[in-house]
Amino acid sequence: MDILFQSVLQGLLMGATYGIIALSMGMVFSVSGVVNFAHGDLITLSMFVAFTLYTVLGLDPYGSVVITVPVLLLLGGALYWFLIKPLAGRPVTVIQLTLGLMLIIQNVLLMVYGGEFHRVPSALENQFLFLGEGVVLRVPQLVAFGVAIVMSAALFVVLGFTDFGRCVRAVHQNPRAAALVGINVAKIQLAAFSIGMALLAVTAALLLPGTPLHPSDGLRYTLVGLLPFVLGGMSNFLGILASGLLIGIAESIGAVYISGTTGMALPYMMFAVILVFRPQGLFKGRS
Amino acid sequence: MIRNASFAAIRGTAPIGIFGIVLIASMILWLPEYYLNIAVKTLFYVGVALAWNLVGGIAGQFSLGHSLFIGLGALLPAAMLLKSGINIWVGMGLAALVSALLGVAMSWIAFRFRLGHLFFALITLAFGELGLLLVLGTEYLGAASGLFLPTGDSAFESVRLNFTGQSFLTLLAGALLAFGVCAWVVRTKLGYYLGAIRNNEDAAQAIGIDLFKYKTIAMVLSAILSSILGTLYARYSGFVDPNVYASPLIIVEIILFTVIGGLGTLWGPVLGAVLMVPLGEVLRGSFGDTLPGLHFVIYGLLIIVVIRLLPDGLIKSLRCDPARGAQISAPRRAAAKADI
Amino acid sequence: MLEVTELRAGYGTADVLKGVTLEVRRGEFVALLGANNAGKSTLINCLSGTLTARGGRIVFDGVDLTDYPSHRIVELGIHQVPEGRQLFAQMTVLENLLLGGVGRNAKLKKKQKLEFVFDLFPRLAERRKQVAGTLSGGEQQMVAIGRALVGDPRLLMLDEPSHGLSPLYVQIIFKAMDDLHREGLTILLVEQNLKLATAHASRCYIIERGEIALSGVGSDLVDDPRVRRAYLGL
Repeated sequence: MDILFQSVLQGLLMGATYGIIALSMGMVFSVSGVVNFAHGDLITLSMFVAFTLYTVLGLDPYGSVVITVPVLLLLGGALYWFLIKPLAGRPVTVIQLTLGLMLIIQNVLLMVYGGEFHRVPSALENQFLFLGEGVVLRVPQLVAFGVAIVMSAALFVVLGFTDFGRCVRAVHQNPRAAALVGINVAKIQLAAFSIGMALLAVTAALLLPGTPLHPSDGLRYTLVGLLPFVLGGMSNFLGILASGLLIGIAESIGAVYISGTTGMALPYMMFAVILVFRPQGLFKGRS
Repeated sequence: MIRNASFAAIRGTAPIGIFGIVLIASMILWLPEYYLNIAVKTLFYVGVALAWNLVGGIAGQFSLGHSLFIGLGALLPAAMLLKSGINIWVGMGLAALVSALLGVAMSWIAFRFRLGHLFFALITLAFGELGLLLVLGTEYLGAASGLFLPTGDSAFESVRLNFTGQSFLTLLAGALLAFGVCAWVVRTKLGYYLGAIRNNEDAAQAIGIDLFKYKTIAMVLSAILSSILGTLYARYSGFVDPNVYASPLIIVEIILFTVIGGLGTLWGPVLGAVLMVPLGEVLRGSFGDTLPGLHFVIYGLLIIVVIRLLPDGLIKSLRCDPARGAQISAPRRAAAKADI
Repeated sequence: MLEVTELRAGYGTADVLKGVTLEVRRGEFVALLGANNAGKSTLINCLSGTLTARGGRIVFDGVDLTDYPSHRIVELGIHQVPEGRQLFAQMTVLENLLLGGVGRNAKLKKKQKLEFVFDLFPRLAERRKQVAGTLSGGEQQMVAIGRALVGDPRLLMLDEPSHGLSPLYVQIIFKAMDDLHREGLTILLVEQNLKLATAHASRCYIIERGEIALSGVGSDLVDDPRVRRAYLGL
């Protein structure tokens, strides 16, 4: 029972970060209808930037957000403006393009940093929190959870109560009416994309401590964000977050109870089973 | 009506086709070993690209999970040969059958409700990864270390054909099979229906085309072909690494080749593979140590360039290609612009 | 105030508008009439910037806005109440109205204009927290008009506001339009209903197959046999 509780708790913690990754996908998708298949690779890229910042400046990964967020904002903005926006209305082409981007990022990182695993040490890395009967939580995971929840909450508040948030929802629900009301749709799309990028940069910093870093990690992050994204119905943000937690728990349980790679497959199997019964995802509608 | 025209067309081009095939086959006689190996690899990619194009291009359903079929074709017969002593050709047939069933399953999950291309791409990617993870965890299929197939057992030793040569011919046959199936599909009613589905699903459904049935047929054909090619290539390469064959990354490569060549066209995948695979091998040979993965970067850059400059691929931009289900028609594009 | 000269536009290869010339003077209530597919919506979409014109000019208060993007046109004060309402169905009435005020110029007077809209359509004040998609057709139309008003428009364009509404709501809507006109708002109304249009608008244009066929004062047009032909003859 202890082990179960521990793994569920841990899954919950990780799941929040997966939820954020998925939410950033959702942000971009809801206003522009595109999914960036290189999403996870941008996380890896951000992590490697943090790594370089560490080796050159000795900067702790948590502190590196100061630089990685603007870098990713710029990069993401450029990516969106020059590559994706011109292909508006052809989401399949965007898929092809982002697949190419995935190859480029992964392999440029490979060329620059080599194929071994890297680690970026952090001040909090080896701290643990002890909770009652034998439940041990790693501090970095707690920090990740906390920040992820705060970011999600901030996102929900912005979307629900600010002018900007209403504009985003408007563009999602009815782009034509949004234009007629005076919303600069292209700017909103750019803003949503940029927010997605900023979220990714922060997530990268959250995931980095204690994680062995490798150029080919990108696909895994894309997948880990994609599962909750689809399960959440692709545009129900609350549903996406909840699905993220679910996926995190599934992954954690799988790792503990089923050994090896089959354990890693548990979230995917759950995903497949859920889709058999509810292809439109677990949740519907919009938050 | 379409059938008669197609047979007439085939009859017309038959002599040229046969000549071309013989010419290519003759490569085993004069091409140096190093290049012959590259050629074998190229033929494999031509075949799987054609197979993928059936679903991804002609039918317009962007599948990222075909690695399941290729991986199954590569690993299952090999495993059965090594661990159960089953003849590899029997294994190939079995793998093809399993792939076909998987194809139906995947099709059922994805196409039951019409949920869009993006959804399909996302879930097939997830399934592809699921397949990879399951394979990595299955001892029988070699787990993470892969399987070693004995190579060089050439039944044609006496005819002065070495193993590479024999493999070349086998994969040529495989690629021709894929090409033949695609050519047949494109020229019959099936191709017409798939093209209609690709162009405008709503309209296709409105005129009575059974979306699910035809998408599934395309998927099954594609799965079988992919599986067969997987087996043939595994047999040739000797070491079956699941991280290569069963990983979604191989599909990304294939998609890139196909799009560069021309998505949805008959010759596009061929052109794409024929251009890209040797390029990649040359790059790997020259820079493999100093800049690992350079060829992938080049692939990625090329696809971005092609998408921006020649969005329909090389084939369409170079000449007219008699493939169905072409681009979004101009009026619809203008209307799309008008509606933001 | 608004001058349209030889406007050409269309979708795909054919032109829907083949050279339309019309004008709306400040403070006028002008109607644009025509049968289906005559080009009414195409014209209004060009005016709003959601469709790019292929030829001709649109000048508003001396500013040539033929190639302006839609958000800039809204900023200049031309607001459209689109055909079919086009609300943000999953948001509340209040949120929909607030979205009318997101343009740059609108932000300052938003609160004031919101009160104005609630005065004009008291029904909306009652239902401000209700999800827009659950309202009746007439109520939705009120929201659509209110949304366009919150931004304090200088020219209000309405695309077939009576479409699909019960007679009661048609009355309410058109009375509101009269009130607005009386207070000095310039209105361009696109309508199929000849009687309705001529009863409220001071001047009418009739568009037929992409060109202005007739124009004149309402009462003249109703009796004009050419109008009958244009509408019924087809």
